[in-house]
Amino acid sequence: MSKLNARKLKEKVFLACVGVLTFLAILPLFHIILSVAARGLPVIAERGGKFITGTLSEGGIGPAIAGTFLLTFLAALFGLPVAFLVGLYAYEFPNSTIGRWTKTLLQIMLEFPTILVGVFVMQILVIPMGTYSAIAGALALAIILTPYVAVYTHEAMREIPFTYREAAFSLGLTRAKVLFRVLAPMAKRGILTGVLIGLAKVAGETAPLLFTAGGLYESYPDSITRPVGAIPLLIYQLVQSPSKADHQTAWGASLVLLLIFLGIFIPIRLSLREVKL
Amino acid sequence: MRDTFKAMTFPAVLAVFLLFAGMLFVYFTNAMPAFHRFGIDVYLKNVWRASEEPSEELYGVAAAIWGSVYTSLIAIAIALPLSVSYSVFVVDYAPKWLKNPLIIISDIMAGLPTIIYGLWGALVLVPFLREHVMKPLYEHLSFIPLFSYPPTTGYSYFSAGVLLAIMVTPFASAIIREAYSMVPFTYREAVYALGATRFEATKILIGYIRPAIVSGTILAFGRAIGETVAVSLVIGNTFNMTWQLFAPGYTVSSLIANQFGNAFIYEYMTPVLYAAGLALFLIGLAVNLLGLRILGRWEENVKA
Repeated sequence: MSKLNARKLKEKVFLACVGVLTFLAILPLFHIILSVAARGLPVIAERGGKFITGTLSEGGIGPAIAGTFLLTFLAALFGLPVAFLVGLYAYEFPNSTIGRWTKTLLQIMLEFPTILVGVFVMQILVIPMGTYSAIAGALALAIILTPYVAVYTHEAMREIPFTYREAAFSLGLTRAKVLFRVLAPMAKRGILTGVLIGLAKVAGETAPLLFTAGGLYESYPDSITRPVGAIPLLIYQLVQSPSKADHQTAWGASLVLLLIFLGIFIPIRLSLREVKL
Repeated sequence: MRDTFKAMTFPAVLAVFLLFAGMLFVYFTNAMPAFHRFGIDVYLKNVWRASEEPSEELYGVAAAIWGSVYTSLIAIAIALPLSVSYSVFVVDYAPKWLKNPLIIISDIMAGLPTIIYGLWGALVLVPFLREHVMKPLYEHLSFIPLFSYPPTTGYSYFSAGVLLAIMVTPFASAIIREAYSMVPFTYREAVYALGATRFEATKILIGYIRPAIVSGTILAFGRAIGETVAVSLVIGNTFNMTWQLFAPGYTVSSLIANQFGNAFIYEYMTPVLYAAGLALFLIGLAVNLLGLRILGRWEENVKA
């Protein structure tokens, strides 16, 4: 009897531990969201519309917001076509040597330290051009975006039932027509999810922009060959400043960034299944 | 017949491969001057002497490499019990209505911009840890070498490790959770049919997915070692090669983030930073390949 009780007791202790640890694992997110909201809202409320549209010396982060959108847009322009094609290739040739390597390479690039990408782009683009620029920042982000979107494309394509493939090929279509005209459109929901998650991811990246984008906070970006700012980059610089006012701006900017991120992420996540980050 | 599909997609694949090879090449060639000048000492010594006179310059990034590895080890030591518990809870014990929200929360945590973790870490987490964890430990247990460094600012290996743990836990749990939910249902039935308590059942089922836990941990380590901005905001950025948890330190990525901007003034600093980047590159590559390999092999076994 006592042995049985010991076992029951162990089970109780175990369940309590699992519950507490699970709670501890997710607690930081709530604390982060609450801290950012509690410290960011007063800043935005106090400075009003100026905070969203003004330049840094006016107490706003307008150019950084514009820069983040510009960089994300350009990164999508560079990265998405390549990612889509690579994802299709990895799906179509899963057993060939190059196909297998492609898949492994994509998974490695997914985990790659992002600062190394930034330094690489600095070496090949910023130094030859002689200036930080939006193109350089966008290229670094595109390199980070590509594996995400390619992996999602690959996964989305794999979920199409094999019979559709057979049917399309039996109509006598070429491989290109089957994949681009028949199968890819069927997987467009999954692919689009990947695209949006990739964009949400790169919009929040900081490290790859450190030595590529340069930063521009006193005027709006007007040329893609000139330096550009970004919200994460601005926050990074403001946190390192000793001034309290800069920290306040950083909290406000974080709230804006958090809202952009959650605004893209939550709708996708609610409408779809598993997300692999 | 020419395959238009291959003709269209192959260039993209080639471009990605060339990009990767190009990165390795760029890091290697730019690091060469450092190897010529300092040899292997660039990785083995802990010294950072910048000088306008090239012959006076002396660098060794051992402390930064140590810092990267040490903070990542602290991170996975904390993240492992959290992510295993979380996975077990979500798959086995959570009521139905709580499952999906828990998964969504974890996904949001995995994707949250790292700079937000950094800001929160530097201005909220570090002061909290310093007042409520580091100071008590230092005051009462400083005879243990781990806790013997006075936590003056709070920016330290420990803070970086804790912040990294928070960041990689959802990532590790995604892998562990997926593996745990793949355990065939008949196994669960069998274990419970033998009269096991839930503790005993979980112990057995966890044993079954051990390779997935190992690879999840390795991949989380790989992610932690490459993290830059959040770490550089909380680690203190000081060359310090020590086990002492509360000492400020450096990691390779925060070293690059901090020093690259003005490195061009000195003749050898840039090559040394490239050498450090190359080390990070290769460590990350090895760690990730190992993790993916273990995971892949396990999945093959399960599916077969």
